[in-house]
Amino acid sequence: MDEKYSSNVISGGKLGRVEAPNARLTRYIVLLYFTKLLKAFGIFESYDLLKVVHIVQFLFILKMGCAVILIFFQKPFSSGKMIPKRQVWIKILKHAVMSCIISLLGFFGLTLCGPLRTLLLFEHSDLVVISLLSVLFTSSGGGPSKTRGAAFFIIAVICLLLFDNDDLMAKMAEHPEGHHDSALTHALYTGIAFLGVADHKGGVVLLVLALCLKVAFNTASRKLSVEIGGTKRLYALSNLVSAVVLLPWVIVLSATTESKVESWSGLILPFAMIIFSVMILDFYVESICMAKLETSRCARYGSISLFLGGLLLANFWTHPLTDQLRAVSNPVHQSSTEHVLSGGVLVSACFFIMADSILSAPSSKGQKGTLVGYSPEGTPLYNFMGDALQHTSQSLPRFIKDSLKQILEEYDSRQIFYFLCLNLAFTFVELFYGVWTNSLGLISDGFHMLFDCSALVLGLFAALMTRWKATRIYSYGYGRVEILSGFINGLFLMVIAFFVFVESVTRLIDPPNINTDMLTPVSVGGLLVNLVGICAFSHAHSHGASKGSCSGHDHGHGHGSAEHSHGGHGHSHGGHGHSHGHGHSHGSAGEGMNANMRGVYLHVLADTLGSVGVIISTILIRQFGWLIADPICSLFIATLIFLSVIPLLKDACEVLLLRTPPQHEKDLNFALEKIQKIEGVLSYRDPHVWRHSASVIAGTIHLQLMSDVVEQRVIQQVSAVLKDAGVNNLTIQLEKEAYFQHMSGLSTGFHEVLTMTQQMESMKYYKDGTCIM
Amino acid sequence: MTSFPARNLSNKPDVVPCGVTERKVSPSDKPDMVVLDVISIKDSDAPVHRKKCETDTYVLGTIHPFRRSHRSVLGRFAQEFSLVTSDRRSWRILLFGVLNLICTACLLMWCSSTNSMALTAYTYLTIFDLFSLITCLLSFWVTMKKPSQVYSFGFERFEVLAVFASTVLVQLGALFILKESVERFVEQPEVHTGRLLVGTFVALFFNLLTLLSVKNKPFVFVSEAASTSWLQEHVADLSRSLCGLIPALSSVLLPRMNPFVLINLAGAFALGITYMLIEINNYNAMDTASAMAIALMIFGTMYPMSVYSGKVLLQTTPSHVIGQLDKLLREVSTLDGVLEVRNEHFWTIGFGSLAGSVHVRIRRDADEQMVLAHVTNRLNTLVSTLTVQIFKDDWARHSLTSSTLPTGSLSLSEYVTSAAFPPVMSKQHDESNPATSTPAKPSSPPPEFSFNTPGKHVQPVVFQTAHQHRPFNAPLSYGMSPYSSMLNQGFAHPSDGPAMRLGFGVGTRMPSVQGYRTVNAAPHRYGSSLPSSQTGQQRP
Repeated sequence: MDEKYSSNVISGGKLGRVEAPNARLTRYIVLLYFTKLLKAFGIFESYDLLKVVHIVQFLFILKMGCAVILIFFQKPFSSGKMIPKRQVWIKILKHAVMSCIISLLGFFGLTLCGPLRTLLLFEHSDLVVISLLSVLFTSSGGGPSKTRGAAFFIIAVICLLLFDNDDLMAKMAEHPEGHHDSALTHALYTGIAFLGVADHKGGVVLLVLALCLKVAFNTASRKLSVEIGGTKRLYALSNLVSAVVLLPWVIVLSATTESKVESWSGLILPFAMIIFSVMILDFYVESICMAKLETSRCARYGSISLFLGGLLLANFWTHPLTDQLRAVSNPVHQSSTEHVLSGGVLVSACFFIMADSILSAPSSKGQKGTLVGYSPEGTPLYNFMGDALQHTSQSLPRFIKDSLKQILEEYDSRQIFYFLCLNLAFTFVELFYGVWTNSLGLISDGFHMLFDCSALVLGLFAALMTRWKATRIYSYGYGRVEILSGFINGLFLMVIAFFVFVESVTRLIDPPNINTDMLTPVSVGGLLVNLVGICAFSHAHSHGASKGSCSGHDHGHGHGSAEHSHGGHGHSHGGHGHSHGHGHSHGSAGEGMNANMRGVYLHVLADTLGSVGVIISTILIRQFGWLIADPICSLFIATLIFLSVIPLLKDACEVLLLRTPPQHEKDLNFALEKIQKIEGVLSYRDPHVWRHSASVIAGTIHLQLMSDVVEQRVIQQVSAVLKDAGVNNLTIQLEKEAYFQHMSGLSTGFHEVLTMTQQMESMKYYKDGTCIM
Repeated sequence: MTSFPARNLSNKPDVVPCGVTERKVSPSDKPDMVVLDVISIKDSDAPVHRKKCETDTYVLGTIHPFRRSHRSVLGRFAQEFSLVTSDRRSWRILLFGVLNLICTACLLMWCSSTNSMALTAYTYLTIFDLFSLITCLLSFWVTMKKPSQVYSFGFERFEVLAVFASTVLVQLGALFILKESVERFVEQPEVHTGRLLVGTFVALFFNLLTLLSVKNKPFVFVSEAASTSWLQEHVADLSRSLCGLIPALSSVLLPRMNPFVLINLAGAFALGITYMLIEINNYNAMDTASAMAIALMIFGTMYPMSVYSGKVLLQTTPSHVIGQLDKLLREVSTLDGVLEVRNEHFWTIGFGSLAGSVHVRIRRDADEQMVLAHVTNRLNTLVSTLTVQIFKDDWARHSLTSSTLPTGSLSLSEYVTSAAFPPVMSKQHDESNPATSTPAKPSSPPPEFSFNTPGKHVQPVVFQTAHQHRPFNAPLSYGMSPYSSMLNQGFAHPSDGPAMRLGFGVGTRMPSVQGYRTVNAAPHRYGSSLPSSQTGQQRP
């Protein structure tokens, strides 16, 4: 104890857990190992017993025996304070009923999937499950290691579900009504059969559910145990009450059905063994170890030894050596190999062991703070409020409501949202119908539609983000997100077109036989949905363009030149087929206006083209039997998608690369000439003009002035001139000779002085010679 | 792989070069031929720039080729290509590119023969390597180019866009793999293991060879600057615990792992497991599972990089320089005469170089060129492409006096003008917007700037009442610098103003708020007298 306090948190300076010397704890750990081995043995034993004894009878005997022993040791009635109140007794009753249900589920799972799998699935400590759930359902999981542990846990469960070729599965399928003869087991069996999974898998699911229930139950019963006066007392009382609760059921059962057991006397020893190992010893040792070791260590050592013991026993249980042991419990049992070790179980056991050791490890990291800002001294300030706290402040329904309201506020996002809903509805109808009729083509088409929906979701998100307020980091506002989203959507279309291209080339070489029966209704449906989308979005285009031209007064100039360039584009691209021309004209009309909407629109257009292509090729194949029509159609479609995406990509690239906006180029050149003619302006340098987003055109320019000019007047004139040219976010730096003198005084570097003097020389030249160009 | 057709097309340019092109074709081996028409900015006319822009976007088209419609563009591309190939370093990259193409073609063939989704996902990493090689070529090209008129910031952004595009393309490919894998879970086809392991090792070998032997500047930068991917985090966590057991490994494992090497190794590992399981137990579903795992790893690795480059493209202030920038802006706002700093926009042009623009509002009597020089001097250490606009309210009235005065000298006429001003100011108050100015201010500056003024209007007060206090000026202004700068960062709330003012007023024995508001003209004396001494102080 002394060391424990000497390495105090505060004095030692080491935050975290306090390590106790290992030598002292070794005996507890050994005890824990031994107990867990015994428990594993008991569970194997009880699996064999459950084959002959009915589950309710089994549970009753277990609870009864446990209660008798515990009352003898613990003396809950004579020692400690009395339990006078009725409410407390009702609580104990509830507790007992819940524990009965959980043990019933657990033992039923045991009959379904065998002792080893039950051990692996059911015998996790609360700590492991709680940290697993916190990783899965809260964002503050506790670092990458916990995430890894959770992933291992899930992989292990999936391994048990998918990769475990249990021999019993086939056997159970033969006689699913085999040896269960009560209403309860029948109900559970029908429940599992309704889910449409094999019994063994049903057992896995059942055990996982029971595990979660157990953890919740343990957490809830903690308060009750304090109220009653100790966990042990509660345990004793609860066992007694549950035995009483189960008694009538057992009587009814034994009256109605005849038992399969020949001699109950032969079962006394195994029952005693199970009661001792599973119910009593485990409980006491665990409570001792909880007190002496830390919870995390206890959980880790306990579960690992349990799993290893289970693996060991599973290896030997069917062995001839243990046959005599089993003969005691069940002499008539045929020695079949059921629930044996398989590769899947081994792998999942490894994963479970790793997951438990990771998840039960105490999280070493402290809370992660979020940077709030900087103090006046310049030191960063962190906010140590947990993420959970911030999450609870906004409830999920409220969040959904808010974002829906935001979506429906603006025209663009509303259009995308409605179309997304339509698309998703169609997709799910298709998927369900595909599952219903077991048609793989429909299902894969449904997934394809979902894949396409991701582009719509991206567009919707960008349309939402565009309206966010400018922040410190996004100092111009979020308008540029729209362009980036348009660019990504363009790339997306490129990828789609590329895959279609590759696919059609392979089909061109080797045309497969296509079943056209299902294709036509699906593609017609898709066509209809997409036509609705095209109508909506083309309307949105014209709407957006018209709105832009009337609302933005500074767009007046830009609009005219946009039309001009549109004409130019039309000439250069005239002759790509009707549909392309259509899409292109739209694209040019909204040039720079809304890349996001253009991307979404092109997506819908590409989908429509796909549907049309499918319909045409179906007709051709049906009428003329031209199998080659399909790949040719898709080649054509791929090319069309390519060609229609190019202008979008080009425009988005130009904006992202900070190119001078092409439709303002002429005006700008004109404006720069004008600026040079302003009185007092000698020259200008570094004129940067770029489009930041659909509505913001930013510009910076440096002007050299004569020393006797009023700067602010020049600023006014220059900004008026540039505003006419379409620049609406302007920064003008005005430099006189004094500036260069100051700069050369301030700058200590030789090169800077050199450049400054050179610039001054040039200015002097201007002043002496032709003052103004 | 995708750029293969483009290269082929570009090698036989079927172009009718127009006027500009002809001029440029002849000296195609000279690296800085572009400078010719870049320098002559002013007399360049529109058609030239249209041509140029098409070239530039086409070079970007190496990432997404198939732009067949621009026929003349192909010639431009070939020309730029020959410009890049004139450098011997690029030959090496081209060699690796050719190797990569062969390797990719082989892998794609094996993918279709083995029918393995996981190998396809792994092949996408090879394709990504091709993209990164193209990006590397592009970065060579960028270093040769000078800023043109339309691309006035230079061509560094092409690198960023190329990195962004290649990471996004690979992620889209991974999305495609995910979709295919989900479809495969419904019906699992058989996977032939014949070429699986061979393909894995060939791909791993080529990927590692390409990664380790080509010095890929943009990707190295991004992978170091971007936040760690979850794959890296997990590996770091594992290796940390491993180093706890075997400390000797710490030099190998503890430094940050290269994400590309990591994902290649992890993908090869997943494929190896797949091969084993399919060979031993015929678990065909494992192929799909490992394809999904590889796709998720691709997402994890590429996502931070695309976020980083995307943020550069979105013209955001990089979060790691915000602290430094704040410090500099605080310094700027404490300069003499500066009232507030606003509309500050700072963003990165390419990878690294910062650009920015800022509006600085100064007192009416302050010397604009002096303030400009100081502000530029401060910010130039961090921001290379800087534009500072100096702003004065009500300049028209003040220009009468300030323009006639020589800078930095104290003259008696200042007192005269200052004495003449108060009536003017009170008249100005009538014009001010009552919504933005509090009634406590009898003479407030024009409404659009009213919210942030107090932090600076305080100083003159001290010297108006007690002229002999002047020696304290510098310490005072610097002492309060952190607070006033917090106000002047552009996000300050108007409500912060009065409290600040009050606090300072008490500290300097000023009883009322109105006191120094009414004597707004006082700065003349103080402001114009100080610059000579202030200059000395502010010099670093």
